Amino acid sequence: MAELVREILIDATPETIWPFLVEPEQHLQWMGTEAELDPRPGGVYRVLVHGENPGVGEFVEVVPQEKVLFTFGWDIPEHPIPAGSTTVEISLHPEGEKTLVRLVHRGLPDDAVSDHTGGWDHFLDRLATAATGGDPGPDVR
Amino acid sequence: MDAALKALAEPRRRAILKLVWSQELPATEIAAQFGDVSRPAISQHLAVLKEAELVTERRDGTRRLYRANPQTMAELRAFLDDYWTSGLERLRDAAEAAEDRKRKTPNKQTPTKQAPKKGEK
Repeated sequence: MAELVREILIDATPETIWPFLVEPEQHLQWMGTEAELDPRPGGVYRVLVHGENPGVGEFVEVVPQEKVLFTFGWDIPEHPIPAGSTTVEISLHPEGEKTLVRLVHRGLPDDAVSDHTGGWDHFLDRLATAATGGDPGPDVR
Repeated sequence: MDAALKALAEPRRRAILKLVWSQELPATEIAAQFGDVSRPAISQHLAVLKEAELVTERRDGTRRLYRANPQTMAELRAFLDDYWTSGLERLRDAAEAAEDRKRKTPNKQTPTKQAPKKGEK
């Protein structure tokens, strides 16, 4: 899972969907119990799920009604995905009166990937293979 | 699940886990792969992995054999997946409800077929 991609077709226009991504009040309608969002490059992204598990990062790219890109991780000591260590891109693609929403959760911090043990990236790829019923095979690097 | 995430935060433990991913290995052989780490330290890492149910332990005489526990690995994967999948489903429900309200009150700046493409507020 070096990269996780999820898509969903929503019967709403990008104009309607957009505020749900960047306005705290609307964001809480689908994710989080507290949200602090400052949707501009360098602005804070902080969403608490169940009042804890803070998903934390900062906005990198904000193109209204088209896409938003922010860094992401968990603000929990020793969490394998630390705050701001990965990126999440959510893009909106109009399809008639509907909108395809694509979410891509990418990557891992360089220090994790370049780790001589192979890194989280490599590990998760194997994890993904095994989780879907495949055999990742012997781990030959 | 929390225990699994914490156990995996340690690079050495991830390395150990990879070693026993598709083969069962005795503790001695695992330790032999890490020349720079003491035997007790490896035992400690194995204990944490076992506690988190990331590996299973089997005794064979005096030897202890370890291998990855695919079930916990699958749960971890599922946790990461679910975070976004269920999130997007809730986004869909919330956005469609908002869209419904807009369509039912057409006098209030109804969006036409195409959403404005660039930069419009």
